[in-house]
Amino acid sequence: MKPIAPVAVLAAAYLLVPLLLGGNAYLMTLLVSALIIAGIALAWALLGNLGGMVSFGHAAFFGVGAYTSALLSMQAGLPVLLAIPLGGLGAALAAVAVLPALRLSGPYFALAILAYAHIFRILATELKSLTGGSAGILGIPGLPTLGGLELGSRNGQYLLVLTVVLAFIALYRAIWRSDYGLALRAMHDSEDATRVVGVNSTLLKAAMLFVSAFMTGTIGALNAHVINFLDPDYAFSGAWTIVPIAAAIFGGYRTLGGPLLGAIAVYLLDQLLFKALFPSGHQIILGVLLGAMILLSPNGLLPWISRRLQRRPATEVRHAAA
Amino acid sequence: MLQLDNIAVRFGGLNVLTDVNFAMETGEVVGLVGPNGAGKTTLFNVISGLVRPVSGRVVFDGRDMLRAPLYQRARAGLGRTFQIPQPMHELTVRENLRVAQRFGRGRVDEARIDEILDFLKLRPKAQADAASGLALSELKALEVGKALATEPKLLLLDEVLAGLETHGKRLFMQTLLALRERFGIGILIIEHDIETISNLCQRVCVLDFGKVIADGTPQAVFEDPQVIKSYTGGAAHA
Repeated sequence: MKPIAPVAVLAAAYLLVPLLLGGNAYLMTLLVSALIIAGIALAWALLGNLGGMVSFGHAAFFGVGAYTSALLSMQAGLPVLLAIPLGGLGAALAAVAVLPALRLSGPYFALAILAYAHIFRILATELKSLTGGSAGILGIPGLPTLGGLELGSRNGQYLLVLTVVLAFIALYRAIWRSDYGLALRAMHDSEDATRVVGVNSTLLKAAMLFVSAFMTGTIGALNAHVINFLDPDYAFSGAWTIVPIAAAIFGGYRTLGGPLLGAIAVYLLDQLLFKALFPSGHQIILGVLLGAMILLSPNGLLPWISRRLQRRPATEVRHAAA
Repeated sequence: MLQLDNIAVRFGGLNVLTDVNFAMETGEVVGLVGPNGAGKTTLFNVISGLVRPVSGRVVFDGRDMLRAPLYQRARAGLGRTFQIPQPMHELTVRENLRVAQRFGRGRVDEARIDEILDFLKLRPKAQADAASGLALSELKALEVGKALATEPKLLLLDEVLAGLETHGKRLFMQTLLALRERFGIGILIIEHDIETISNLCQRVCVLDFGKVIADGTPQAVFEDPQVIKSYTGGAAHA
């Protein structure tokens, strides 16, 4: 049953969802937003799991990616599908400014990167000639049509963002399983022990910061071309940091699929259920939900589900034997 | 192979090492002894790069290493163990050796990993979790194994025998002797047990209050009145 499960999930995500829900524009918009959150959550979890860094500054990478891609497509006239990965590269470039903070660890790194994030928001507000200042940018070009598939349609947006998030999961997995991933995981609790056997820990941590920033920037760029509008308060909003962190922890930030599952669960519950019940202050329920999840399963939803799935066959076998 | 010139280390106002001069030839096995707090582990930290001296020179294999970061020293052929074993957490025993080999030596060679596992009698524990699945003697063996996997030219062993019971000590001692025979690696070993040092080393260096007070064959050094004095706390022996 195990090898079939991922295929079934993929088939459902690529075929069933667009076929069954494709007509419901509101629901598809929510799903795209949930996938955007999932992409950031994944990038955040990668930095935490492999780089050992807790970031409160991912909104900066998200915003820089969004602005880079929007400006490249509008002012330099680059095709949108080229501008989006360049947005990711722009965010990775912005991460160079964060490199000195790698010398810090734990809460000190978290605070430093929080401050860094603010710098980029100020830059976007003050560089009026380039970014339009606090008035923002209107009319960002949407996603193009590729080989007959209208990426700009609700279904097209969904399929593109889904594909990018899954590609990032695959990249994360490849790093995790490589020798670099092995060394990075070892560095967590025993940094000196890894350095004395020849691991350049600073370089590997910096590489993870760049990968995480690239992913987040690409997602920010995608989002900019989905909603066609940017201003500094939106693009660098703290929500782009906080909601993904909550989603990653809820879903299980130490697993590959946890951030994606957590983002969809948290975002859809919040928008469809809690918002309807409590139009204002519905985010409070998210806090309660997150607290409950940590009590139920400190490692998150995905590890909890897989434990349940593993337990059942075991009891069945025991019954059959008796 | 290794040359230390006028090494001085200060922690705050405390002179931990003063004017330490020391040299080792390729393949030599040297014991580093001295009372607690003499600066032995600090000297290891200076050589491997965890502590930067306030003055002095560290030359290894013809290269000035004073400013080289830890990972470069490891790649240049300096292997070390920690007094308190530091296995790489979250990894199995085999993965520990793999990381050391991949990054310290540059490429992975599974056959060589098997050889090290067999040599240190860690083969049955290859898949065990390094942080939680090993006994103390096995953790100590893994410390040596990680260092060996980097293909060192010089191995710094920091009290690898301490804390082991007599039988385990004897077994590990044989392993260390075989290490010298089989791999031809130079060894600098910190050890309190004089018998171990005498059996293993052709040469002993004694550190006291951050200074080298004797350097020579085990027999000569352990009969040196100054050494006896430092070990017996300056009492009447001499």
